[in-house]
Amino acid sequence: MNPILEAHGLGRTLAGERPVVLVHDVDLTIERGCFTTIVGPSGCGKSSLLYLLGMLDRPTAGSLLFEGRDMSGLSGDVLAQTRLARLGFVFQFHFLLPEFSALENVMIPMRRRGRLAPDEVRARGFALLSEMGLEGKERKTPDKLSGGERQRVAIARALANDPALVLGDEPTGNLDSVSSARVVETLRRLAHEEGRAIVCVTHDLDIAALSDVRVEMLDGRVEKVTDQRAGR
Amino acid sequence: MNLRGISFLLSIAVRHLARRKRQTAVAVSGVAVGVGFFLAVSAMMIGSQNDFVEQLIEAAPHVIISDELRSPSPQPGTRRFGEGAVDLRGYKVRTEVRGVKGWQGIVEAANAVPGALASPSLTGGVTLRLGGHEEALAIVGVDPEVETKISTIEDQLRVGRLRDLETVQGGIIIGEELAARLGVKMGDIVAASTSSSKARSMRIVGLFKKGQAMISSNSGYVLLREAQSLLGRPFIINRIGIHLDDPYAAQEVAARLEQRFGYKAESWQERSSEFLSLLVTRNVIMYSVVSAILLVASFGIYTVVSTSVSDKRRDIAILRSIGFSERDLQLIFVLEGIMLAAIGVIFGWMLGYVLMEILASLSFPIAGEDQSVPLDRSTRQYVIAAASSFIAGSVAAWLPARKAARVDPVDILRGAA
Repeated sequence: MNPILEAHGLGRTLAGERPVVLVHDVDLTIERGCFTTIVGPSGCGKSSLLYLLGMLDRPTAGSLLFEGRDMSGLSGDVLAQTRLARLGFVFQFHFLLPEFSALENVMIPMRRRGRLAPDEVRARGFALLSEMGLEGKERKTPDKLSGGERQRVAIARALANDPALVLGDEPTGNLDSVSSARVVETLRRLAHEEGRAIVCVTHDLDIAALSDVRVEMLDGRVEKVTDQRAGR
Repeated sequence: MNLRGISFLLSIAVRHLARRKRQTAVAVSGVAVGVGFFLAVSAMMIGSQNDFVEQLIEAAPHVIISDELRSPSPQPGTRRFGEGAVDLRGYKVRTEVRGVKGWQGIVEAANAVPGALASPSLTGGVTLRLGGHEEALAIVGVDPEVETKISTIEDQLRVGRLRDLETVQGGIIIGEELAARLGVKMGDIVAASTSSSKARSMRIVGLFKKGQAMISSNSGYVLLREAQSLLGRPFIINRIGIHLDDPYAAQEVAARLEQRFGYKAESWQERSSEFLSLLVTRNVIMYSVVSAILLVASFGIYTVVSTSVSDKRRDIAILRSIGFSERDLQLIFVLEGIMLAAIGVIFGWMLGYVLMEILASLSFPIAGEDQSVPLDRSTRQYVIAAASSFIAGSVAAWLPARKAARVDPVDILRGAA
């Protein structure tokens, strides 16, 4: 076991006249070098759990340990800084910034972080895009790219700051089967060859079958965690 | 955040604005028009004000000591028995000869003030007569040599010079209009008389231009000695004019001299206090009109940034998920406002410059003389216009930018998924 993220009794309730429970009492450990999928019917709280794990949302109960550090109660700035340096997000819709070219989109996290010199940022941007098979499309704006290409740009952007944890919210949900397979292959490679922790929410059971750990959710609770590596 | 970080956020702001060219153009022109008209109007207002104040300052000596007292001097009885139990009333008031007593001492004291020059003079009323025509005239007896140094009278002469008073026996300088009414010209002779003296002949040696607001059309200049003898008041003067190198020290100098000698010493500020308070009102009006223009311009900025924020909610969520902080997002949109203001200021400066050029090329006939609009073209106005636009722009952008910072990325991401 090599945990990067540990959730203990994690819960998220929307306050209001009739409180809505999105996530309830989740205990979950995410490992480095492991491709984890979260599956379940619509509205079961998959995405909500993912946002909690990605520190985009704050839990109303329980605690979250990221790289051994308790993240609950930290300021928004610290969480933003952690996301910038250690996390990468890929969403169902590509979510690229429309005014920026593919290359510029990939460069945004690096430029915000400001660790690398401008020419290094540029070189890494080119390298990431060519790794995703997007050579020659660096200057194109998102509207000039196909759905699969955009999603690969989004993955390249998620990897820009060399994150330890990549979170995907239905990253293949909007793609045809060929593009989808390619994206899944990329995510698996990121886990197995580069040792990153990958967590993907999906409703595609074929993808879940290809993952190392499968988390099944129902009504905001984790029903079952299956380690699928043993059988292979 | 370092400079590179801010310039990166700025580049995002630039992209946002480049996307909405028309709105940007409207907001920018709002600021530009505001700044441009502020520059033109304030140049005119301040220019004419400076011109006016200069006229006020130079129209007459900066400090005038007259033979008046602010309060009457106590009668001998009161002076003798100040603490007396009985208040005497209805006694015969002592008649005192009018005029500044010991004026040589005052002139000396005034000249001792650094940068000051004092000129004693005697004023009084005479009647000018020519044929059957009579005109009342207030004559001022001066020492031409000193008087030219302390006042701008010399510039207001159409013909002749103040010095000519010394060389011509019985010389007098009067206004053009008065000369026209009497039907006299340069070199002509008129009769001058007072109630107590017989008429004597005076020769016209100079004429004042008409329309000089500060010199009454019914005043004339003669030699001090001439005035003393004409008015029958030998060795007496009733006015000391003081010119100062620094006109703004007038109030202080006047107060000191008045305290020391007792005679009323009036600074130009006191003399023209109504005018000066009028100028304050004028400035208040100008600045409130200009603030209103800039306020309207900042509405434009508010609108652009506010629509930008609502259009970019999705992008805000993406940037937040990437790891931009709330402050980063707020700064992006504030920078949008500041950029709009900056571009507007640059165009506004150009507009203001052009407007000033146009104003400067105009001239209006005032009192027969072609005069151009007095303009104040100091860089100070450019700086004030820029600074207030930047403040207005930042505040106008800051309000919607706060909204951008408060966007909850989860709401957006959940809604889109």
